Amino acid sequence: MDKDKQQESKWDAQLRKGTLELAILAALKPRPMYGLELLNNLHSFETMVISEGTLYPLLDRLKRDGLTDASWQQEGDARPRKFYGLTDKGRQKLKVLEARWRQSVADIETLLAAQGQ
Amino acid sequence: MSNNDSIKKYLNQLRKYLSRLEKEEADEVIREIEAHIFDVIEAREQAGEAPNIQEIFNGFGEPKELASKYISHIMVGTPPPEGFRPIQIVKRGVSKTLYYSMLVFGYGISFALIAFALVNLFLPYTLGVWSSASGESIVIGWLPQADLSNGAKVFSGLWLSPVAIVLAAIEFFITHRVLRVLKRHLN
Repeated sequence: MDKDKQQESKWDAQLRKGTLELAILAALKPRPMYGLELLNNLHSFETMVISEGTLYPLLDRLKRDGLTDASWQQEGDARPRKFYGLTDKGRQKLKVLEARWRQSVADIETLLAAQGQ
Repeated sequence: MSNNDSIKKYLNQLRKYLSRLEKEEADEVIREIEAHIFDVIEAREQAGEAPNIQEIFNGFGEPKELASKYISHIMVGTPPPEGFRPIQIVKRGVSKTLYYSMLVFGYGISFALIAFALVNLFLPYTLGVWSSASGESIVIGWLPQADLSNGAKVFSGLWLSPVAIVLAAIEFFITHRVLRVLKRHLN
C-alpha cells in the first residue's frame, strides 16, 4: 500500500513537470491572481500540491517569457500583492497547450481502452 | 529568534544569492516572498493558530536553492564562441635574441659547472669559497696558494665535484625544457 502511494506521488511529480505550466496558465485565465491565492487554488486539486519554491520561480519565468504580466495591487487594508494575469501571448500558448493536452489524453485513453483486446 | 528576525535573516540570505540579478529584479522577488510570508502568518493568526514560520521556509526551500531557480536563466545561454579567451594573449611570439640568449645563458652555466667539477678534481682545495679569519670578507675563486695560517676558512674539497655535476645536469635539463617551449613560439 505504501509502495502504491510512493509510486503515485512519483508519477504525479513527473507528470507535473510537463503540465504545471498548462495548469497555471489555465488557473490564471478566468482572472488575475497573486501567488498565495494561486497556490491555495492549486492545492485544492489532488495532483497539484506544489511548493512555494516551485511556484514563485515558475511565475517569474512565465512573466519573463511574456506569457503573464504582473502588477502590484492593494485591496483595502491588506498589504500590496503581486497579481499575475495572462497576456495575449499567454492566452495563445494556453490554447496550443490545451489542444496538445487533450490529444495526449485521447491517445492514452485509446491505448488504455485497447488493452486486453 | 523572533519570527521577524528569522524572516529578515531568510530574506537577507536570499538577497545575497540573488546578487546576479539586477537590483530591481531582486527587490521585486524579495518583496513578493515577504508579502507571501506575512500573508500566511496573518491568515494563520486569524484562524487562531500559531504560525509555523519554519514550515513556510521549508515550502520555499533553502535560500541558495530558491535563488538558483530565479537565476537559472542567466546561467543558461550561448556558450562563448570558438577561440574566445577572457584574457587576451597580447604577445605570444618569442624573438630570436631571447631564444639564443637563453641558450647561451643556460648551457653556459651548465658547462661552467662541469668545467669547475673537472678542474676541482685535479686541483682540489684551490677552488672554492674562502673566508678570512674575522669573517668580514669572502672570496669565491681559484687561490692556488691560499694562506690559511691566519685562521681563514675554506669551503672547498673534492666533494664539490659531484655536487657541481648534479647542478650542471639540472641546469642543462631546465634549459633544454625552456628552450623547447620557446622554440614553439619562435617568430
